[in-house]
Amino acid sequence: MTSIGTGYDLLNSIFSPDGRNFQVEYAVKAVENGGTSIGIRAKDGVVLAVEKIIGSKLLKPGANKRIATVDEHAGVVYSGMVPDGRHFVDRARDEAQSWRQTLKTPIPTSELASRMGSYLQAYTMYGSVRPFGITAIVGGVDGSGDEVIDGVVGSGPSTGAGGKVDGKHGGPFLYVIEPSGQYWGYYGAATGKGRQAAKAELEKLDLAAGNITLEQAVKEAAKIIYNAHKDNKDKDFELEMSWISGVDGPTGGRHMEVPQELKEEAERLARAEDESDDEEDEKKDEKMEE
Amino acid sequence: MAYGRSAGVLNADGIHVDMQALKAGEVDLGTTIMAVTFKDGVILGADSRTTTGPVIANRVTDKLTMIDDNIWCCRSGSAADTQAVADIVKRHLDQHAVHHGERATTGQAASILAEICYANKDMLSAGLLVAGWHPRYGGEVYQVPLGGSLHKEPWAISGSGSTYIRALCYRNWRENMEEKEAIQYVKESVREAIRNDGSSGGVIRLAVLTARGVERWLFTPDDDYSKPTDDKPQKM
Amino acid sequence: MPGFDFSNYNRNLALHAQGVPLPKATSTGTTIVGCIYDGGVVIAADTRATAGPIVADKNCEKLHYIAPQIWCAGAGTAADTEFTTALISSQLELHALSTGRKPRVVTCMTMLKQHLFRYQGHIGAYLVVAGCDPTGTHLFTVHAHGSTDKLPYVTMGSGSLAAMSVFESQWKPDLNEEEAIKLASNAILAGVWNDLGSGSNVDVAVITKDKTTLKRNYITPNEKSAKLQSYRFPKGTTAVLNEKIIKKDDIGRYVSVQEVPVEGGDKMEVDA
Repeated sequence: MTSIGTGYDLLNSIFSPDGRNFQVEYAVKAVENGGTSIGIRAKDGVVLAVEKIIGSKLLKPGANKRIATVDEHAGVVYSGMVPDGRHFVDRARDEAQSWRQTLKTPIPTSELASRMGSYLQAYTMYGSVRPFGITAIVGGVDGSGDEVIDGVVGSGPSTGAGGKVDGKHGGPFLYVIEPSGQYWGYYGAATGKGRQAAKAELEKLDLAAGNITLEQAVKEAAKIIYNAHKDNKDKDFELEMSWISGVDGPTGGRHMEVPQELKEEAERLARAEDESDDEEDEKKDEKMEE
Repeated sequence: MAYGRSAGVLNADGIHVDMQALKAGEVDLGTTIMAVTFKDGVILGADSRTTTGPVIANRVTDKLTMIDDNIWCCRSGSAADTQAVADIVKRHLDQHAVHHGERATTGQAASILAEICYANKDMLSAGLLVAGWHPRYGGEVYQVPLGGSLHKEPWAISGSGSTYIRALCYRNWRENMEEKEAIQYVKESVREAIRNDGSSGGVIRLAVLTARGVERWLFTPDDDYSKPTDDKPQKM
Repeated sequence: MPGFDFSNYNRNLALHAQGVPLPKATSTGTTIVGCIYDGGVVIAADTRATAGPIVADKNCEKLHYIAPQIWCAGAGTAADTEFTTALISSQLELHALSTGRKPRVVTCMTMLKQHLFRYQGHIGAYLVVAGCDPTGTHLFTVHAHGSTDKLPYVTMGSGSLAAMSVFESQWKPDLNEEEAIKLASNAILAGVWNDLGSGSNVDVAVITKDKTTLKRNYITPNEKSAKLQSYRFPKGTTAVLNEKIIKKDDIGRYVSVQEVPVEGGDKMEVDA
């Protein structure tokens, strides 16, 4: 690495002469070695999934969750340094609560991403701190606006307020926040060790067209994590998945774990695809021999 | 606390209890205010009397205060307190619009206001109504009474004059009124309060909030509040 | 006994329980008014300052400078109106300097109301704020607790009702400058004659977008008349009963006298 020995990589608060912050770049390296996490923005909800590398056979399966709920309607998954991610989640929960405190409504996903982006950015400017060693994927489903305001007594007129203008409101949203504090909204997002393979798969789904349902997205997510793990076969992993639907969907607008049954089905399909891929590879090999 | 006025009553525990919320010499909005939803939005209404003790400090006060383009509030209680709170909420909502690129909703405005009223309830005597029109939510009415709680209502009345007209308002209220009917409903109710409440009086001011924006109407005692002063409403 | 002594607290509680009111701060019983006219605004005030039942000053100034085109008439606690207007005047001048624009009347009114609201009525300043700025002519009242009103004509102070009666019976839209000055000064006179707390002379300030004219003692209806008799008594009116003369030389018997030598021939510098 060109930065080593130059001294420009020792402090956050010092730019290198060609305008780079090496500390941030090292943080990205930490992310690139972490277990793959992905997020899919389907037409009626959001799916988050992570490849949880099993470091020890003594760890209890299904324990040590990596996907966190930030507020009723929003969840976070991240790749990189897990303790950093935990702190990120703590902060995100504080932000969501502070919004609720004054506005008495759930925080919009975009606002959550904006606030967390600002928070991470602040860790790139001071000599006394280091940037977050994670890239986080924030998913949420914003309300349509018909929900009751927290703590309000009474409900207004029974026929609804007069003079409403119809239109689309709320819906699923997905954001990725990097160690630099940069954040963008995505249809599909991947980060961590297997991100390249995962992104390639996500692109094939044509999520922008809005044809993929939430349940399909769950199955695709499982496949993508399994596929991304192929280059890392020597290590065991566990798949963790969560989802958020709209108020009228299967999760009722809440961020929650994908139900056992659906998850097993998704994993079965993922494994089946995995094996058929392997068979194809073997056939090719045979042809080569000919 | 107004020591001079209240004949110095001490409680059993030696703590002075002043039942009068206003400080000595404070300007009071002895008031009738109301806000109602109707078919196309909301209407706010108020009398125009401001008093300092026995003296009318302003006989043509505008108690309907804009806190956002399409969100207004009716103020009752201490004039100083309600003006200060309205100014603060207005600043919050302007900041909200700049930060989020869209105006806040009526519910958000009301909850900011309630939060301020609750946090400072020991120092404030403010009874407010928030009414607004938002494309997503249509017309909405929220009431924030003395303690800072938040109530969503189809219609609400407040101030000293409101006690005289509560039954009248219940009797005449109908959901989804036409604009003309709703204006008449508000105006007639406030007129009745003015007749019965000594602390309410002057002119009747209305603000109609709909998709068209805000429209102001004015009724004067010259003709016993029967007709508005102009045929066309005033914008803003 | 070291430490704080809280015995007065108990005394005050006991006095209070007996119905003894708190002592009152000096308050200027006052009449102040303001009136907008075509092309400007006029404010006026009486000139009596009181301390309880005593007239403390027969010709005080109640029109306070805020900015060249913004003036304030003050009622309430004299010290509070004086210092509050001076404070805001200073802040407004700095604000004008930093923005490079003329100060606005709304800005002044907002600063006053926020300052007074912060002190929850303990600063007893009741003000009429008037002036011209690039946005037009403005007239406000600001009460001690921080509430404000915006009206075409306003009155404040103990004589406000007397003054308001003049406005309510004689005010009309589209007054010219002369009429406005006449009306405002008549309103003050109503206070001077009918309110115990107001008296002496009438001060008027006329503010237009071009200039401000302060008419100090515009009307002086209470001039002290010439004394009908002379109170100068001729020498010898008082009889001399005895006489004793002490000469300069003998003064040493009463005080010690020392000669101070003059140094270097120069006179001592008394004041540099």
